[in-house]
Amino acid sequence: MRIVIAEDDPLLREGLALLLRAEGLDVVAKTERPEPFLEAVDEHKPDVAIVDVRMPPTHTDEGIRAAVEARRRRPDLAVLVLSAYVEQAFATELLSAGASGLGYLLKERVGRVEQFLEALHRVADGGTAVDPEVVAQLLTRTRPDAGLDRLSAREQEVLAIMAEGLGNGAIAERLFVTEGAVHKHIRSIFQKLDLNPSDSVDRRVTAVLRYLEDSRRRS
Amino acid sequence: MSAFLARRARSTLDALEHLVGGLGTAILAVATLLWVLLTAALCVFGVGLLIVPATARIVHTVADRERGRISRWGEEVISPPPPPYSLRVVTDRTFHRELGWLVTHATFGFFVGLVGITLPLDVVHDGTLPLWWWAVPEFVAAPSLGWWTVTDWPGAFFVAFLGLMCAVVIMIIGPGLAWVQAWPGRALLPPSADVDLNLRVAELTATRAAALDAHAAELRRIERSLHDGAQNRLVAVTVLLGAARRALGRDPATAVEIIDRAQDAAELALAELRTVARGILPPVLADRGLAGALEGLAVSSGVPVSVDVDVAVRCPASTEATAYFVVAETLTNIAKHSGATSASVMVRRDGDTLLARITDDGKGGADEKAGSGIAGMRRRIEAHDGRLTLTSPPGGPTTLEVELPCGS
Repeated sequence: MRIVIAEDDPLLREGLALLLRAEGLDVVAKTERPEPFLEAVDEHKPDVAIVDVRMPPTHTDEGIRAAVEARRRRPDLAVLVLSAYVEQAFATELLSAGASGLGYLLKERVGRVEQFLEALHRVADGGTAVDPEVVAQLLTRTRPDAGLDRLSAREQEVLAIMAEGLGNGAIAERLFVTEGAVHKHIRSIFQKLDLNPSDSVDRRVTAVLRYLEDSRRRS
Repeated sequence: MSAFLARRARSTLDALEHLVGGLGTAILAVATLLWVLLTAALCVFGVGLLIVPATARIVHTVADRERGRISRWGEEVISPPPPPYSLRVVTDRTFHRELGWLVTHATFGFFVGLVGITLPLDVVHDGTLPLWWWAVPEFVAAPSLGWWTVTDWPGAFFVAFLGLMCAVVIMIIGPGLAWVQAWPGRALLPPSADVDLNLRVAELTATRAAALDAHAAELRRIERSLHDGAQNRLVAVTVLLGAARRALGRDPATAVEIIDRAQDAAELALAELRTVARGILPPVLADRGLAGALEGLAVSSGVPVSVDVDVAVRCPASTEATAYFVVAETLTNIAKHSGATSASVMVRRDGDTLLARITDDGKGGADEKAGSGIAGMRRRIEAHDGRLTLTSPPGGPTTLEVELPCGS
């Protein structure tokens, strides 16, 4: 897997590269500003880009804009955005054009190396990775009568993990249940929330996030 | 003694400059006074009533010039709102006060200004008399203030001595003259008490808004330095620890190396947290007071700094912190930009005001608009309802004066 890193903090950039290389992954370029990052994407044709949200010059959302631009140039590029804190607007901006091959994680998740690598691979394979914190914020801020209260406690749990971008198998693993049970829960969730069921993880995640986002906006 | 003379000479030159400036506004005042008298005369025939508003406007404009002039030295004279430019102006208090000033300044101020510029000319005339008295016709060579003519060398030197005496007199009474000339303006041109209160409310509202702005900017700065500093360091620690945990089974030697790096990152995080905490309120200020804290700054400064702090009663923490930051930033500026070989810091408490003066012997030419951080200091000081004055002529010296109210 060929990876380009865009991160302005030197310590974190090197740490990330060290970790990925130790796992046998191919870090082809490390950049610290948006423009060199885009050049590196053009030049090295990586499979995945790992991008920090805050980058020079203004340290606001340069990383998000660079990620969106990189995706515009190379639609098949997988992008994993790392952020120091959860900013709902950034996540929404990033995922608004479809969540396939996209991830938005808090920086500290990188330390949980197994989960981070799993998310990285998922994104590289065209899947989605949404930080549990983002999902949790959407869930808690959603209006109580948005339909969520019709879900059972277990179904809410499944919904949250699904929104992170995990597939049925992974959800089953995390909840210690069979895949068949997860499948049943998901069918029930989609029914109660009037969502279009689908097998593709990306479409499921998008549907769930849209639903949460919409019900939040209406409230 | 020579330092005293130099100081005295400087204040005399300042005084002469003020007297000449005062003569300028006095000439304007004379012309305006004539116009006012003409207007009054025309009012007897009725037509003058038509030009009363325009006349009031002229009087206010001229008064504003004097306000601006005397505000440049000594206490600032705030401009009251203009009187109504209509016939109602004849009952307006501000207009009455401005008229009172106009009459005084056009007569008394004009006379003082004339004296102020005549005396130095006399010094030059009399002082140089021995150089040229023999070359001019007999009755031309005479002292400026005297009724005899010079016909021989002793007489010429006597007149030169008179010139010297005249110079001494200027040095003694010059500053007083300038003060006397500006006095009617200082007494009559500020807003009267009721108007002053309204202005004060408006000013306080503005500075309160500035305080909130400065506060928000300060919070943003702290948030930014926490996110970009300590937090990033801690994230790096978790990343490195994660990598070390993975490496432990495969290659213990590498794992130890990575843990070392993680420890370094954690120490960096601690150092940055300390910096942020110190930026909020320097602990040294709480421990050692303003004097001790400033001594500490002086010791670590790039140029030799003499510190003279005499503050008997301590001020509120936020005031002391502001004074501390202003001195710290100014000393940094001096070390970085001024090329000075020494600097001095003086801090005094005068009633309810904390005064700080920072001077260096550098090349001067500091410009607030050139983004030297002075604008930021000014915002911070004005947020405390204080005042910052920067004097930095090209060639130096540069003096920064700060007044911070520290009463409750």
